[in-house]
Amino acid sequence: MKPPASLSVVYCGGCNPQIDRGAVAAELAGDKASGAAPAGGATAGDGDAGGAAEASATVYLSGCARACASGHRLTSDEPGEVVVAGELVDGRTTPAHDIAATIRQKLKE
Amino acid sequence: MPLRTREEFIQSIADLDLQIYMFGEKIDDYVDHPVIRPSLNCIAMTYELAQQPEYQDIMLATSHLTGNKINRFTHIHQSTEDLIKKVKMLRLLGQKTGSCFQRCVGMDALNALWSVTYECDEAKGTDYHERFTRYVQYLQENDLVADGAMTDPKGDRSLPPHQQPDPDVYVHVVERRDDGIVVRGAKAHQTGACNSHEVVVMPTIAMREGDEDFAVSFACPANADGIYYIYGRQSCDTRKLEGNDLDIGNANYGGQEALMVFDDVFIPWEHVFLCGEVEFASPLVERFAGYHRSSYGGCKVGVGDVLIGAASVAAEMNGVAKASHIKDKVVEMTHLNETMFACGIACSAEGVRMPAGNYQIDLLLANITKQNVTRFPYEIARLAEDIAGGLMVTMPSAQDLADEKIGPIVEKYLTGQCDTPTIDRMRILRLVENLTLGTAAVGYRTESMHGAGSPQAQRIMIARQSNLDHKKELAKALAGVGTPWQKEKLKTPAASADA
Repeated sequence: MKPPASLSVVYCGGCNPQIDRGAVAAELAGDKASGAAPAGGATAGDGDAGGAAEASATVYLSGCARACASGHRLTSDEPGEVVVAGELVDGRTTPAHDIAATIRQKLKE
Repeated sequence: MPLRTREEFIQSIADLDLQIYMFGEKIDDYVDHPVIRPSLNCIAMTYELAQQPEYQDIMLATSHLTGNKINRFTHIHQSTEDLIKKVKMLRLLGQKTGSCFQRCVGMDALNALWSVTYECDEAKGTDYHERFTRYVQYLQENDLVADGAMTDPKGDRSLPPHQQPDPDVYVHVVERRDDGIVVRGAKAHQTGACNSHEVVVMPTIAMREGDEDFAVSFACPANADGIYYIYGRQSCDTRKLEGNDLDIGNANYGGQEALMVFDDVFIPWEHVFLCGEVEFASPLVERFAGYHRSSYGGCKVGVGDVLIGAASVAAEMNGVAKASHIKDKVVEMTHLNETMFACGIACSAEGVRMPAGNYQIDLLLANITKQNVTRFPYEIARLAEDIAGGLMVTMPSAQDLADEKIGPIVEKYLTGQCDTPTIDRMRILRLVENLTLGTAAVGYRTESMHGAGSPQAQRIMIARQSNLDHKKELAKALAGVGTPWQKEKLKTPAASADA
C-alpha cells in the first residue's frame, strides 16, 4: 500500500514523558523514504488538530501511558491513525528506539 | 433476568448448598449462621442499593454487551467516568456497611481478564476472549456475584510454582481432557467466597517456562464438585454467637475470608481463560492488582467515614467535642481519608482505553493509592482510639449491663454527657472497637495492609513506573549539570552589589 501523503502529529502536554516525543516526530519528519512527513504539530485538546483534517494520517504522540494526546485511548478506531503512549504503540510495548519505525510500518500497512 | 432483589440474592446463595467448614464442623444452614450472616448482608447491600433510584446513578451501568442496565459490579468499564463511579460506589457501600462488602474482587478480576484474554488471543491465536465475553454476559444477565480468586498459599516463596515440594500450594492443572481440565490446589484469603455464585481464578504471580500448568485462569460455579471452604476466624467473632447485638459493635454487617480448596475440580474448556501461556500471568496479576488497589481508594474511605463519625459521636458523648485537640484530630482523620479518595479518583480519571476497548486505571496512581491505604487507616484508627478513650476496651459486657444487680452499677458509672443514654455510649464505643480491633478490623486494618498486595508489591510497581530518568533530567537541566562553568564571570557578592 502507498504511504500516506501527509502526516499530522498531535502531542500531549508533555508533563511526564518517558520517551522523547520530539525525537520521534523528527525521525518521522526526516523519513524521506516513507513519504510521510509531519504536516504540522498540535496539542491534544486544541480545537483544530493542526492539519489533522487535511492529513491522510495522524500520529497521537503521548509521552507516557496515560495517552492524553489520544484522549486516554491506547488505540484508535479510525484508519490512518497511530497512537503512541510512552513505550506503547497501539497498545503494544515498543522500545523507544523502534517507535518511529513501528509507526512507519503501521502507516504503510 | 432483571436485577435481583436483596432477598432473591440471599435465597440464591442458600440454594447453592456450599461446602463450608467452621470451627471443625460442616455448616449446613450457612446463610443464617450468626457468624456468616453479617457478611452476606454486606453483599446483599449491593443488590439493595441497586434497587433504589437515589443510588442507581452509581450502582447501575449500561452493559456494552447487551445495552441492558446491570449492576456495576458486573460491568466492564467503558470510560474514565465508569472508573470514577466505581470508586464512588465503593465508598457508598463502605459507608452503608462499615465493613468489607466483598463484591469488588470479582469486578476487578473481570476487568483485568477482559484485556488480558484479548491480548493473549491477539498474540497466540487462542479464543479465550470470545469465551470470556460469553461468560461476562452470563454474569451480567443473571446478576451474579463472582469471587475473584488470585492468592495461592505459595508454600516456599523462594521457589517458583513448578519447583515446590508440594505443587498443590499453587492452583494447577493436573489433567487435560478433550472436554476440559482438572485443577487442584487452594486459594487463600478469599474475600466473600462463601457469598458468591461463581469463582473466577487467576494465577497469583508472574510465571516462567516450566510453570505452564500453574498459568491457568478459569471460572466455575462456587458449588462445583470438589470445591470446599474453610471459614477464616476474625478477632472477636464469637461475640456474634452470644445472642445480643451490643458487644458486636456492628451487628448487621461484616467481612468474610475463607480458604478455598480445589480438590480435583473439572473445568470445561468454555470456562478456561488461560492455560499455559506463562507470559500472560504477569499482566493479569498487575492489572487485577491495579484495579483492586484503586478500589481501596473507595471502600476504605467509606469505612473511614463511619469511623470518623463514630469517633466524633464518642467525643460528643464524652463531653469533649469542643476541645480544640479533638477537633484537630477529626480534621486530621478527614484529611487522611480524603487523600485516599483523591488518589482513587485520580487513578480513575487518568485511566486509559485498552486495545480490548475497556478502560483501565492508571497503574502508577493506583499503586500510590494502595500504598497510602497501607498507612492511613492505621493512623485514622489510632486517632479514633485516642478520641474514644480506653473505655472502648475496658467496658463491662452486655450481660453485665443486663444483669439485675450489676446493671444499674454499670449504668451509673458508664454515663457520659448528661442526656446520653449509657447504652448508646456503649454502642458507639463498641463500634469503634469493632472497626479498630474487632471483626471489621480484618477489613479496615490488615486487609488495608495486605489486600491487593502487601506494601512492597506496590513499591516495586511504583519504582518501575516512576519515570525517574525524566525527573533526573529535570534536575540536571535546572542545576546546569553538564554545561560549561564560566568561572571568569565569578564575582563576590559585595562586588556584585557595588556594581
